[in-house]
Amino acid sequence: MPDQDFEIVEHTADWAIRVYGRDLRHLLLNAARGMTSLMAADLEAIPLDTERSLEWEAFDDETLLVDWLSELAYLAESEGLVFRDYALAEVAPRHWRAVVRGGPAAELQKHIKAVTYHNLEITKTAEGLQVTVVLDA
Amino acid sequence: MITSKDFKRIDDYLYEFPKSYRPDMRVPARFYSEPELLQGALGDQCLEQLINTATMPGIVKYALAMPDIHQGYGFPIGGVIATELPDGVISPGGVGYDVNCGVRLLASRLDREELAPYINDLATALDNNCPSGVGKGGSVKLRPGELDKVLHDGAHWAKERGYATAADLEHTEEEGRLDGANASLVSKRAKERGADQVGTLGAGNHFIEVDVVDETFDEVAADRMGLFPGQVVVQIHCGSRGVGHQICTDYVKRFQQSVQQYGIKLPDRELVCAPLSSPEGQEYLAAMKAAANYAFANRQVLVYHIRRSFEQALAGKVRDYHLRQVYDIAHNMAKIEEHTVDGRQLRVCVHRKGATRAFGPGSPVLPDDYRDVGQPVLVPGSMGTASWVLLGTAGSMEQTFGSTCHGAGRTMSRAKAKQKIWGGDLRQQLEDEGIAVRAGSLPGLAEEAPIAYKDVDKVVEVVHGAGIAKKVARLVPIAVIKG
Repeated sequence: MPDQDFEIVEHTADWAIRVYGRDLRHLLLNAARGMTSLMAADLEAIPLDTERSLEWEAFDDETLLVDWLSELAYLAESEGLVFRDYALAEVAPRHWRAVVRGGPAAELQKHIKAVTYHNLEITKTAEGLQVTVVLDA
Repeated sequence: MITSKDFKRIDDYLYEFPKSYRPDMRVPARFYSEPELLQGALGDQCLEQLINTATMPGIVKYALAMPDIHQGYGFPIGGVIATELPDGVISPGGVGYDVNCGVRLLASRLDREELAPYINDLATALDNNCPSGVGKGGSVKLRPGELDKVLHDGAHWAKERGYATAADLEHTEEEGRLDGANASLVSKRAKERGADQVGTLGAGNHFIEVDVVDETFDEVAADRMGLFPGQVVVQIHCGSRGVGHQICTDYVKRFQQSVQQYGIKLPDRELVCAPLSSPEGQEYLAAMKAAANYAFANRQVLVYHIRRSFEQALAGKVRDYHLRQVYDIAHNMAKIEEHTVDGRQLRVCVHRKGATRAFGPGSPVLPDDYRDVGQPVLVPGSMGTASWVLLGTAGSMEQTFGSTCHGAGRTMSRAKAKQKIWGGDLRQQLEDEGIAVRAGSLPGLAEEAPIAYKDVDKVVEVVHGAGIAKKVARLVPIAVIKG
């Protein structure tokens, strides 16, 4: 398993994050961490005073990932909320629930307009799972 | 990795990957470039993305890319394809998330010297009146149900609300409203995202810029557009904000299953599509038109704010502060058009992603005053550098489904640009060059540094040389307002 949970990778027009996880739950967690790191300069400064419950299902794992990140990006755009603490659970195959905690960011440094499917493929590695997500930002 | 051995040079400005380059290509892939720009294109995955678009079902003639091509997601930015009706496909990723992102040009009667003493006041007024930046709402409060009217009527809604003149609408692509938009096919979330964003610029590469006409190249066309050297003009670059982003997100997700249903095999999931003859293809088209109309309305309300800013900063100080609309163009759009392909007149869906419609002289869709010269094409450069006004040509109709370039095109990632330059230094550098800068975010400013972009003058040389657009005027900036 690489040392880090995610890394920002080069993309000419937008932003891309390469995410690692030992299983799907950790992949979803680390993808959220990666995207959130682009949104706020100082994540530790975000209060943990707001909690939201999310529930979603999808027909494949990639769509599950896109929907999860899209939901967090939507909450940032519409309410200025950045979440940095996530409790995730699979309630049925490809049907997940999350309780996320965070709060308002003093300033959003990056507007994630959309989470794309560009070359999106969750692949198995010797250590677990890996995916690269391109964000329109 | 693609190298220059993989394609052939057709002429000074045109290159081609033959259909045989990859077994899944349905047509050859052509791109416009020249040796220096080509090196930039070989530096990322944009040419591979161009080849991917040549696999789209129903594509005719060629997959095309303009000289400002760079890596996007799915389609390259600068990509153009046409798919034949009725069964060719429509792809939300071929339009992009910012549906009808586009450029509008306004002309004043002021010259640079007359404005010079007041340029900082004007920049501040524009910054105060034109909401910009991440998550910033607009000053327009829509009544219940009024958003649907924006989605159906575009800039015509703006005229009813007093934000537009009849002349503004005449000088807008499609007169600022695409027929066939259907707000009922726009999701609740898309409407929520757009509810308070009418008349806002957003962030990223969107801007308002006050420019001076540096030089004119076609006196007849410049005169027809009312442009003259030394004249102050204004450019607006923005799109459909959260409405467009969400509509694209919704339909890219939905089409993930459509491609399985229709047995469409694609090299990239962002290229998902559906036949234009299918219910979901028609529904996306109608929803996309709604987003496009929102963008026309958005730019129109910004025009209103810009006119107000000119009045606030300049009334009583200059002879005439009024602004006339030269034209408004889209550069992220899918349109049903008729084109001649191999001697046959075909109805096709032209996807332009980071490419501008460029109809030549005589097109019946152009306003009366431009019909005999051709469609104005607005090509913004990178921040602090030149921009161009061009014309569509007979050559663009023959070669590129009436399309040409849309801007300078990035060569460097946003991450790298931020490592190389600090926003504060860049602002100082621009101010030293005599450009007033109002930026909401210094890191955001650094991402848009001119070093991150191709040389727009070179891009324009290619489209002019290739005959897919014609130079009319070069603009240089004197004030930039960014989110």
